[in-house]
Amino acid sequence: MRNTKTFRMVIYAVLGAMAAALMFISIPYPVFSFLSIDFSELPVLFAALLFSPIAGIAVAGIKILLYTLFATGAGDPIGMVSNFMASILFVLPVAYVYRHFQTIKGLIAGLGIATVFMAVTMALLNYLIFLPAYSWLIGWELSGQALWYTTLVGILPFNIVKGVFISLLFVPLFLKLYPLLQPGSLGTDFQRRSANHLKMKQN
Amino acid sequence: MLQNIVIGQYVPVTSPLHRLDSRSKLISLLALAVIVFLANEFWSYLALLATVVLFVALSRVPLRFFVKGLFPVFILIVFTFLLHAFFTNEGYVLFSILGFSIYSGGIEQGVFIAIRIGSLVILASLLTLTTKPIDLTDGFEFFLRPFKRFGLPAHEMALMMSISIRLIPTLLLEADRIMKAQAARGADFTKGTMKTRLETMTAFIIPLFVRSFKRAEDMATAMDARGYRGGEGRTKLRVLQWRLQDTIACIVVGGVGVVLAILRDF
Repeated sequence: MRNTKTFRMVIYAVLGAMAAALMFISIPYPVFSFLSIDFSELPVLFAALLFSPIAGIAVAGIKILLYTLFATGAGDPIGMVSNFMASILFVLPVAYVYRHFQTIKGLIAGLGIATVFMAVTMALLNYLIFLPAYSWLIGWELSGQALWYTTLVGILPFNIVKGVFISLLFVPLFLKLYPLLQPGSLGTDFQRRSANHLKMKQN
Repeated sequence: MLQNIVIGQYVPVTSPLHRLDSRSKLISLLALAVIVFLANEFWSYLALLATVVLFVALSRVPLRFFVKGLFPVFILIVFTFLLHAFFTNEGYVLFSILGFSIYSGGIEQGVFIAIRIGSLVILASLLTLTTKPIDLTDGFEFFLRPFKRFGLPAHEMALMMSISIRLIPTLLLEADRIMKAQAARGADFTKGTMKTRLETMTAFIIPLFVRSFKRAEDMATAMDARGYRGGEGRTKLRVLQWRLQDTIACIVVGGVGVVLAILRDF
């Protein structure tokens, strides 16, 4: 795997496209139908761990823009913004904790911390910004009690479930994929080809 | 199996809206998203509804595409309508069911909010239905360019978007090929418990990732070999052109805003 600027740009685009495609396969969360679980966070996590936290933000941005353009995301701008925020809030802690330890335990700890961090921050953001924005959109004043109820019974457990689901999928995937994506491991094809080419020239 | 999924929403027909520059459509959509919230009583909602109907007619896009766009928010619209119908106690009592009195004010409010949400969704899908994703990306790049001095990589962002848009069908094709290859080796993606299913999914996701990384590497090599060196001084195959019709479109949208501002009840 190379690490030039052009390659990084292309691979963010590829991962973003994968994430957008994964967003279409979503599982609706019971009762609170406007929430749904999908695995689009996986490519975002890969970008953040293999390259940099900024890469994670870039892939999350591409994902949400693609989804807005291709799917019916444009009809729900608040949902798109909150999905983007959730991606970033989840991926950044994982990336920072993992960078610090560079071990499997560090990765698992990072995923755990990130799940809690993302769930709590998203609950706060929903309480303060997203739910009031929705209630403004539908022209219905949500009372303080209803807000608390939706946040604590709906949003908070949902994000924890989502974080745990993604973590459970991500750890085995990362362990299997990481050695495959090391420098030189993917480039072998290319190197062999150019080596053959050189041999032919010598003959 | 997977290539049957229709990618994107762009409907290729000729219409005045299709011919507009993507920048004027982006500006109009942004302005209309604010204008929708100006409406607050009967006449202003009627004007809003008339505007949306006019734009839909102008786009010459078959109606079923708009219905498809409305489908995901359908539950929200119905829920909001019922909420207002049952719990708003304004105006006079129309009738009573199940111990609830339905007030005229509630029905009125419910219909208004349904129009508001519906208009927002239809206007947003108008943009994606009449504009090619690649043109939209160019439009985004144009509006992001001023932020370049603050360190925002506008050109890189637009290029990444174009690459992803181009890659989605390729990725789906690749996913299909891998699925078939693994099925030929005996993998069954539809059977088994949650755990075995996740394990089979790994046999699908890992090749997908590895092949995508390879593809990215090849593409980067191809770009480097052709002398790609970033956005500075790069020319374009498709150049955005602001024409008279774009100015007219912006004026029309501004006019709608003025009309709604006058009609609205303060």
